[in-house]
Amino acid sequence: MAIRDDFEVVASQVRTVVQRFALGLLVIVTFGVMLVGKADTVLVEHARVLALDMVSPVLETIARPVAYANRAIADLREFASLREENARLREENARLLAWQTAARRLENENEGLRSLARFREGPEASFITARLVGDSVSAYMRGALLNVGRRVGVAPGQAVVTGEGLAGRIAEVGENSSRVLFVTDVNSRLPVLVERTRERAILAGDNSPRLRLALLQSIAGVQTGDRIVTSGHGGSFPVGIPVGEVVETSEGTVRVRPFTDFSRLEFVRVVDYGVTGLVGPAAPGPAAPPAGVRVR
Amino acid sequence: MRADGTLAILDRWGRAALPGTVLLFFVLLTLAPLRAPYLSDTLPLLPVLVVFQFSLVTPERLPGPLLLVMGILLDLLLGGPGAPVGISALGFILVRAAVIANRRYLVGVPFLFQWIGFCILCWGYVALVWAFTTLWTWAAIDPVPAMLQYVVMIVIYPLLAPLLARVRARDPLNVPELSRGSARPGETTT
Repeated sequence: MAIRDDFEVVASQVRTVVQRFALGLLVIVTFGVMLVGKADTVLVEHARVLALDMVSPVLETIARPVAYANRAIADLREFASLREENARLREENARLLAWQTAARRLENENEGLRSLARFREGPEASFITARLVGDSVSAYMRGALLNVGRRVGVAPGQAVVTGEGLAGRIAEVGENSSRVLFVTDVNSRLPVLVERTRERAILAGDNSPRLRLALLQSIAGVQTGDRIVTSGHGGSFPVGIPVGEVVETSEGTVRVRPFTDFSRLEFVRVVDYGVTGLVGPAAPGPAAPPAGVRVR
Repeated sequence: MRADGTLAILDRWGRAALPGTVLLFFVLLTLAPLRAPYLSDTLPLLPVLVVFQFSLVTPERLPGPLLLVMGILLDLLLGGPGAPVGISALGFILVRAAVIANRRYLVGVPFLFQWIGFCILCWGYVALVWAFTTLWTWAAIDPVPAMLQYVVMIVIYPLLAPLLARVRARDPLNVPELSRGSARPGETTT
């Protein structure tokens, strides 16, 4: 009996101690988790991927109704400006038809010249179409979750494009899910070219809707309206994917507006491009630059 | 076992699991691709509202270890590469501790004062997460989006909080010892 009483006394004492220091213990545990996350990044990546894989089926089921609601809201909004939109589209269509003619002519010409120069084209890129099942947007991060993963060939570093241009790159890949880091994210650094001057630069995100053009050799040559395309340097990115256009050049900073409308993304394409294809056997003569990569 | 016994058990289980389930729902909701302007950026702060409100009305049903797990899950799902994992958990736990320490003043007061309390705690949370993320990644992170998030959150609070507060026991003083806070029987607060 006495032993039992003693035991109960000790147990209750332990309980009070645990209750008193519960807050401290929990705080210590969180710091421990943070330190482990800092020290062992591989472990954290595994945990992230595991968590993503677990929740992506749930997200996929809620993504459809959410997408439907979003579309309904967008429809309502567009209904108000239907007339103006129609007129604008007609005008744009006329302009694009002229462009199409020009493009057809150039493609024919290009093909003829290529066969003349025996130019070997790089491997064709293949695409994986993915649905955006989750946003990963916060005050510190610009990204999204896709419903495709390793099983269909998605790998970290691959480019993610939309019809308008580059959206970002794959950052983490799970079995059936992956996370895209948008070009607007603060961690995003992208080697690009100014299309008009062929000048190389780095396009950096800072979590704002505008991108910053950095490490430019001469800022003077850049004008408002210049198109920025990927340069394909140092990575598995194809060359010449449009990224955005320069909207502001002032006091040594160049601001770029991305072509992709991140607030309306629903489907994207992951570009599966053989990295080794970029360094193929160079064609003789001055026609060597690897610009013949066809991206559709 | 009698039929109503099973029902009672289910009822008890449901009540016990409700706050955690709601919190999990809001943690998952942070990833929902909602396209509403301002609102979608604010989603990551919604779990804080849930933690605050449930810590206020039924802290025993939202224990610290559960908050730890939920916070880590939120960080794993939300953060990109390099973001600290566990910072949300720390924030949740501190919010819970702060609410419990001040329940005596917060439970009985008019809604406006609870709102003010939430404003203060949520500001602390946002500042904590911002400071930690900045230190952790050693990068100058623009505090404006975080502040914008905070403002939207403050505006949302009166819409969501009364709904969440409905899980509380009918009479704040006629409840088990733990959830009563430091209020004594017979003590009136209004």
